[in-house]
Amino acid sequence: MSTLATNTPAQSAVLRVNSLSAYYGELRAIHDINITLQRGDVLAIIGANGAGKSTLLRSLAGLTTHGARSHVRGSIELHGQRVETWRPEDIVNAGFALVPEGRRLFSRLSVEDNLLAGAYLPRCRPLIPERLEEVFTLFPRLRDRRQQVVSQMSGGEQQMVAIGRALMSSPSVIAFDELSLGLSPAMVEEIYQNLGRIIKQGSTAIIIEQDLKRALASCTRFCVMLEGNIVLEGKPDEVDYDTITAAYFGSMQGSHHD
Amino acid sequence: MTEEDLYWFAIDLLNGILSGAMLGGYYALVSVGLALNFGVMKLVNLSHGDWLIVAAYLCVTLLTATGVAPFWAPLVVVPVMYLVGYGIQRGVLNHVSSHAAERRNLPPVYGLMLPLLVTFGLSIVLSQGMLIVFSADAATIPNEWSYSAIRLSQDLSISTLRFGFFIAAAILLAGLSAWLHRTHTGRAIRAASDDPEIAAVMGIRTTHIYAVASGVALASASIAGFMIGMSRSFQPFDGTPFLLLAFGVVILGGLGSVFGSLIGGVVLGIVQVLAGTYFGPAAQQVAGYLLILLVLAMRPQGLFARK
Repeated sequence: MSTLATNTPAQSAVLRVNSLSAYYGELRAIHDINITLQRGDVLAIIGANGAGKSTLLRSLAGLTTHGARSHVRGSIELHGQRVETWRPEDIVNAGFALVPEGRRLFSRLSVEDNLLAGAYLPRCRPLIPERLEEVFTLFPRLRDRRQQVVSQMSGGEQQMVAIGRALMSSPSVIAFDELSLGLSPAMVEEIYQNLGRIIKQGSTAIIIEQDLKRALASCTRFCVMLEGNIVLEGKPDEVDYDTITAAYFGSMQGSHHD
Repeated sequence: MTEEDLYWFAIDLLNGILSGAMLGGYYALVSVGLALNFGVMKLVNLSHGDWLIVAAYLCVTLLTATGVAPFWAPLVVVPVMYLVGYGIQRGVLNHVSSHAAERRNLPPVYGLMLPLLVTFGLSIVLSQGMLIVFSADAATIPNEWSYSAIRLSQDLSISTLRFGFFIAAAILLAGLSAWLHRTHTGRAIRAASDDPEIAAVMGIRTTHIYAVASGVALASASIAGFMIGMSRSFQPFDGTPFLLLAFGVVILGGLGSVFGSLIGGVVLGIVQVLAGTYFGPAAQQVAGYLLILLVLAMRPQGLFARK
């Protein structure tokens, strides 16, 4: 169904990040990041505030590449194509969708217009009815409120719109920056219950999540970031919880700092 | 007050409201480009008034050269002005916008000042250029509707031309609004005006989308320019009064809204004509600006803006 998937050999990596560093002016926000994701991988990125998690996702989306304030070094391969110099609009066209931190909805637009804005790309337009139906099945309350202006909705409903908007571009990789931040516990529960359906069979996801246990429960792989570096990575069932929390707080022995 | 006094009072009032409202449609078209530029790109385009006059001159030149009926002129001038608007945004204004200043790491004051200085410069270049090309003689688009009127009753009539302009403006503004709300491009324009960075993440190329918005702004300005040429004579330096008028309409109607431009235009038109009726021609402009001042002081978001 997805044209991108058919072009990709089954075994090759969907996303390959090689020694990626991102800078804001002179300040290096992330350093020497290496990530390889295969089809179906769900990577949880764990770390304290300021560890560089959002910068990593912004870099993948092409938001730190252009302009005088920030730049990246290293390489990002999406479906085998080098994209680290690409514009954000070309990266989303190649199949990478971002659910940004703080939702960042188009606040004066309706629910439906926000969703349709997510399907702006020419390759997405023929699939609009199908995608829209999927989003409304996933989040039924959005169907009733499709004409409502999003600034009048609750945080949880807005997060649903933000997720739906990203899904409208039929992404092969979807990244969630702070999936549950600022949401009520019931809403977090609802979104996580749907996560299996949101991250469809065969698509790849990256999740930034403050809730450690929830993050570990819903991922196939995780990495812990500290001060711009990945200090620990693995599969959730292979590493014990204390090691992960130690890495999170930077009190791990023999860390990967250089 | 006798019955006859009352009758004439009512006729004066009704005439004022009617012709003011008709004037408002034309005011709205004069202003909607400015509103679009500001609403989408946060760009105050000080050359807006001069573009109206440029379009009016283009119409006159075209009609003089071909000798066809006046209404053919916009068919050529509107697309030309769209391309000019697209080119200027892409080639110049995108590089001096507040977003560009931010991208280049310049202090915010540059983002505020650069577009003002550049469009002010553009305004001077345009008006001087028109002076060189067309000389200072007044020009107009001759037509048979200028002095005709539609009689509604014995003492009540409206100008045929103004009525036509009002209908045309209402249709064009409704079309513009529908385009902004119902098409992918229109939606992209609104999304890019809301959050350009996230719009890019949705695949929207903001440099192109801004240029489209600017093209549409100049296309609508060129229809207004055609109306100016149809209803009065104009000279190369007539742009500035129209810029002030457009500012007034945009302030009254709320910044950056198509529907607001129509409301703002109608309100300003009615107030000006009524002031002219009761206090003489000199009061027209004063009343308009007093209203604008009042709205700025009491309701800076515009008379009918939603929050």
